[in-house]
Amino acid sequence: MVALQRMGPNLQLIEGDAQQLAGMIAFTCSLAENVSSKVRQLDLAKNRLYQAIQRADDILDLKFCMDGVQTALRGEDYEQAAAHIHRYLSLDKSVIELSRQGKEGGIIDANLKLLQESEQRLKAIVTEKFDTAMKQGDLPQVERFFKIFPLLGLHEEGLSKFSEYLCKQVAKKAEENLQLVMGTDMSDRRAAVIFADTLTLLFEGIARVVETHQPIVETYYGPGRLYTLIKHLQGECDQQVEKVVEKFVKERDYHRQFQQVQNSMMRSSAEKIEPRELDPILTEVTLMNARSELYLRFIKRRITADFEVGDSMAPEEVKQEHQKQLDKLLNNCLLSCTMQELIGYYITMEQYFMRETVNKAVAMDSYEKGQLTSSMVDDVFYIVKKCIGRALSSSSIDCLCAMINHSTTELESDFREVLYNKLKQGFPATTFQDFQRGVTSAVNIMHSSLQQGKFDTKGIESTDEAKQSFLVTLNNVEVCSENIMTLKKTLESDCAKLLSQGFGGEQAQAKIESCLSDMAAVSNKFRDLLQEGVSDLNNTAIKPQVKPWINLFLSISHSIEEEEFSEYEANDPWVQQFIVHLEQQMTEFKAGLSPVIYDNLTGLMTSLIATELEKVLLKSSFNRLGGLQFDKELRSLIAYLTTVTTWTIRDKFARLSQIATILNLERVTEILDYWGPNSGPLTWRLTPAEVRRVLGLRKDFRDEDIKRLRL
Amino acid sequence: IRSMWSFWLKNLRQFSFSWYTPEACLQFKEHFHAQVRTACQQSAGTVGLKISKVVVVGDLYVGKTSLINRFCKDNFNRDYKATIGVDFEIERFEIVGIPYNLQIWDTAGQEKFKCIASAYYRGAEVIITVFDLADIQTLDHTKQWLEDALRENEPDSSFIFLVGTKKDLSDAVCERTEIDAIRFANEMQAEYWSVSAKTGENVNEFFSRVAALAFEQSMIKELEKTMGHMVQIGTGNLISMLNFASCVYFPHLCSQRLGRVF
Repeated sequence: MVALQRMGPNLQLIEGDAQQLAGMIAFTCSLAENVSSKVRQLDLAKNRLYQAIQRADDILDLKFCMDGVQTALRGEDYEQAAAHIHRYLSLDKSVIELSRQGKEGGIIDANLKLLQESEQRLKAIVTEKFDTAMKQGDLPQVERFFKIFPLLGLHEEGLSKFSEYLCKQVAKKAEENLQLVMGTDMSDRRAAVIFADTLTLLFEGIARVVETHQPIVETYYGPGRLYTLIKHLQGECDQQVEKVVEKFVKERDYHRQFQQVQNSMMRSSAEKIEPRELDPILTEVTLMNARSELYLRFIKRRITADFEVGDSMAPEEVKQEHQKQLDKLLNNCLLSCTMQELIGYYITMEQYFMRETVNKAVAMDSYEKGQLTSSMVDDVFYIVKKCIGRALSSSSIDCLCAMINHSTTELESDFREVLYNKLKQGFPATTFQDFQRGVTSAVNIMHSSLQQGKFDTKGIESTDEAKQSFLVTLNNVEVCSENIMTLKKTLESDCAKLLSQGFGGEQAQAKIESCLSDMAAVSNKFRDLLQEGVSDLNNTAIKPQVKPWINLFLSISHSIEEEEFSEYEANDPWVQQFIVHLEQQMTEFKAGLSPVIYDNLTGLMTSLIATELEKVLLKSSFNRLGGLQFDKELRSLIAYLTTVTTWTIRDKFARLSQIATILNLERVTEILDYWGPNSGPLTWRLTPAEVRRVLGLRKDFRDEDIKRLRL
Repeated sequence: IRSMWSFWLKNLRQFSFSWYTPEACLQFKEHFHAQVRTACQQSAGTVGLKISKVVVVGDLYVGKTSLINRFCKDNFNRDYKATIGVDFEIERFEIVGIPYNLQIWDTAGQEKFKCIASAYYRGAEVIITVFDLADIQTLDHTKQWLEDALRENEPDSSFIFLVGTKKDLSDAVCERTEIDAIRFANEMQAEYWSVSAKTGENVNEFFSRVAALAFEQSMIKELEKTMGHMVQIGTGNLISMLNFASCVYFPHLCSQRLGRVF
């Protein structure tokens, strides 16, 4: 309490100070408020002042424009007049409103009216002068007034008028060119592609127009306007293309030729059109399309680039809208549609050309001694390459894919059928049977020819021919399979080139891949056919020969004594003769077949020998020396076969080698040294039952011993 | 429509075997063939891409492109734009771990582009013939379209579908047309569906069905081929040739033998 009383005076002091401080703060606050509100007022005043100056300037400008336009118009200085109008048009509309409300409203109203009249007058004058210049073909004047349109806010009109002028130029030139075409001598170097050339001139003309006038459009109309110009030009281009194509169809009799081709394809009896006659027109159509594609690509690139600059700040929807417009222009223009139509007919005609020419190549097939294949394979692939190449030269991905499809079908169905039928006739019977049949047929032939009084050896010769034909066909099939893969590779790189140049739509790559993968599948079909043919050859030509030779093994005893064993050593009873036979037999095939097929065949033959020999073995009986004899025989055989094949044949003879090992055992139980845990690196290919069976072939082994074995 | 056994695909399309109407449906099984399933599970992630080719044909203005756009891009454009030559879309799936593509070839219906379009019919695993439910004539023409497409293909190598479009337009007319369409489908050995590209009704279901059947077919073909090779590699008589077709249709008879080969 005492302390509190003692603090009393101090507190009073503090209270006084605090009140003083509060008073000061309140004063400062109101002072600051005062100052800042003044600053705000000042700022407002300044802004208003600026606006006032701006307005005053604008009004002055307006006045200046009004005076200027009059003077410029009087002096026929249209650029200057247009510049004034442009200034007027870019003025704030509220300024004009404001200036009318002023004290001098009446005068300004009158002036404004004058200005608007001048604007209308200028527009009329410019249009008129432009039209006159256009009529006179006065390019400098045309360009002069063309530049004025955008100043008057007449962008679209200017572009459309200018395009009209340019279209007239294009049309004039195109007509001249078409007249020239009609007068072309048929002996002219370019006569065969004269319509393609005419289209080229037309496209080049338009391209040049775009090249020349793009800068002026860009400078005076701003970016993003090229589309409008080209759209107008495309209209003229379409008209001119229509004329050229019409003439082309008429002069070249395109539709009639197509009709005729279609008739030939539908009815085999109809009079066929000679495929060679189609050659020039097919080339010309593809060339025409190639030119169109080139031209369309040019336009596409120009417009895209121009849109890119113009739309750099634009929202996504605008960009998409522009892209859509461009796509529509490119895809739906008459030029595109007309060309698609021509190409459609082309494809049918090209397909006919290919089919007929392939048929001819097959019919004229010839074979030269010493060659592995016959002429038709080279010919057919030459034709297919030519047709696909021509489709490729059209630069149209759809056209190319269509022809790839037709070629694939042609090769897969028609041509493979030809080869298949040849193989189906089979390889004629073997020499042994041949000999018998040869004798009987020779007798028959002699008989009949004696009756007719002449001698004919055709029967025997044709067997040789049939053999040759079979072998040549096998080689043909192999080469076909390879050629198709080569063709596919070439096309892949050709297409990559085409795509990298910007031809084809977004799905072009996928389309091509799809068609080419079909082609690869056909190559495999040829490979399957080859496999079938080779195993046929093995079954009909090798098997009937080899089997009796192997069967001879049965007539050689393998239960032999020391004496016979030495005798066998001096005069081999079987294997040497067998090898000689094989050698003789295979010489014919080695000479007549490609290395790959020959190898394939020897592979099959080796398997055949292994299986057949195993069968024979199981019918023979052996003793210890007989087993040794067989081991020697097997080694000679394997040694020989190793020299003729590139395949490893050890594997194919694994079972036989293991049988030989068993037949060579001293005692039955010796097998356990090789079996189960003792087998070491050896993998047994024989089941325990088979091992017992082989052991049973040794007449000197007792059955009880074999039964007692634990395998 | 039932949906019994279905997979969720990578792109979240529901994949199912449901058919549209039992009156025009060629097979009623509700899941993949057992062999195909096993093979898929065994080889998931190891096999290459499977592709099936689908060709869409039919009169002009029946809505082939719209149908495809609804399925592939999920959009519908009222403006008619004629297809020139051929268009092409790829729809990617993953079915039981196996990447799978449907290649859809959209052909032009206009007579003057037929030459170029018909060059694309070959090797079609699936042929979709499209007609306008509101225009009976387009249904009449489907037979000719199918005949043209089949001419370029091996007999019995393609699945055939008959699809009526613009289902949203008129119900009464549609119903009448549908009776005829089912009769047509039976004659054509085709499966019938009716769809609307505008509302999207049945579009995904239809293409799921197409994908399911085509995928199974391509797996069966693949299996057949592998088995063919196995037989060739084997040493002659040791493995006897199996008649694969019988395994497909009578799996219970063959499963053990198949097990040995695989």
